[in-house]
Amino acid sequence: MTMTLRASSAAVAAVFAALALGEASHAQQSAAEAAEADAVVRGLNGTWDRYPNRFSVMEPDTNPPPAPQPIPDPPLKAEYLAAWRAEQARIAELTEQGLPPANNYSACVPDGMPAMMQGMFPMEVLETPGQITIIQEAYNQVRRIYLDETPLAPENAEPRFAGHSVGRWEGSTLVVETVGVKDYVEFRNVPHSANMRIVERLRLVDDEYMENEVTVIDPEYMTEPWTWTWMYRRWPGYKIHEYICEDNRYYRDPELGYQRLRIE
Amino acid sequence: MSSVEAHHSFAPYEPERQITFKGTVADYQWTNPHVYIELDAPDETGEVRRWLIECANTSILSRVGWTWNMVKVGDEIDVIVAPLRNGEPAALLKSIRLADGRVFSNGGPAGRATISFAD
Repeated sequence: MTMTLRASSAAVAAVFAALALGEASHAQQSAAEAAEADAVVRGLNGTWDRYPNRFSVMEPDTNPPPAPQPIPDPPLKAEYLAAWRAEQARIAELTEQGLPPANNYSACVPDGMPAMMQGMFPMEVLETPGQITIIQEAYNQVRRIYLDETPLAPENAEPRFAGHSVGRWEGSTLVVETVGVKDYVEFRNVPHSANMRIVERLRLVDDEYMENEVTVIDPEYMTEPWTWTWMYRRWPGYKIHEYICEDNRYYRDPELGYQRLRIE
Repeated sequence: MSSVEAHHSFAPYEPERQITFKGTVADYQWTNPHVYIELDAPDETGEVRRWLIECANTSILSRVGWTWNMVKVGDEIDVIVAPLRNGEPAALLKSIRLADGRVFSNGGPAGRATISFAD
């Protein structure tokens, strides 16, 4: 009993001592937290719009950087390239006729990786210790990039829309590797294998612009890596909207397969 | 590339032809992937037709000044639209004029109005 009381007294004394020191230790903690925050935040935080965006409602930039080159055709192996070209031609022809073929996006299926990084709608980047999170406004898509983890082997990666991403900083460039993208999640109708890897190199061009050099590596389908660059412009103050596909009135016409509007 | 601009292609709508008419709002649905207005408007014979007017999505419209509650059932509004090519009573909005005279676009991707309101 006595021991317990003594112990309690000691505990109370310790609490008072801690209270007396409270201000100082709080200040120390804040400095430590700030140091940690500095270590993880490399300037990608914030909201971004695709660049260039001819529909941007931001003030035009007086000295805009050069736009990235157009995305080249995929370096598919010959046996896949012919089918891909034929499909692109079919889509273009039907669209010209006013009968655009239904696709994942028109069916409110998220576009996933890498398409979600083209920034169809604005996106938000959040840097936190050990993780970078990217939120694409369209369909409320979220991808989580875990820093300094070992990439999953593709055969161990549950297929997902955004896949599984790990990242590391190489100087001021964030290098992200992604595997495990669902087979029917295709960018530009390009088929891919279960072993496809996507490597992104994200870096700030300056305070206002960010570039993302994307490389798709898929030796089963491609003769060489497929590379292009996307750019984004910082959009200060923009708040990401909620985007739930609550009432999609477009459906796949059962006979012609085009995007048809439901009229009640 | 329509795929870089919207949830779906705008190809089902007349690419060149636009029309304008006045109607009474039967429904205003502020949702994604599209905002919809159902508009009752008399046709050439005087018979009232119900039009489904497709607008952009909530974020694109917010960026060009729309609000979730700016249109109400019973409002008299004017629209400039591109109708469906197949003749069904639905159309893609180009411009809207509210009862109080305020005019809004349907955001950049849906394209500009190329005609004026009737009055």
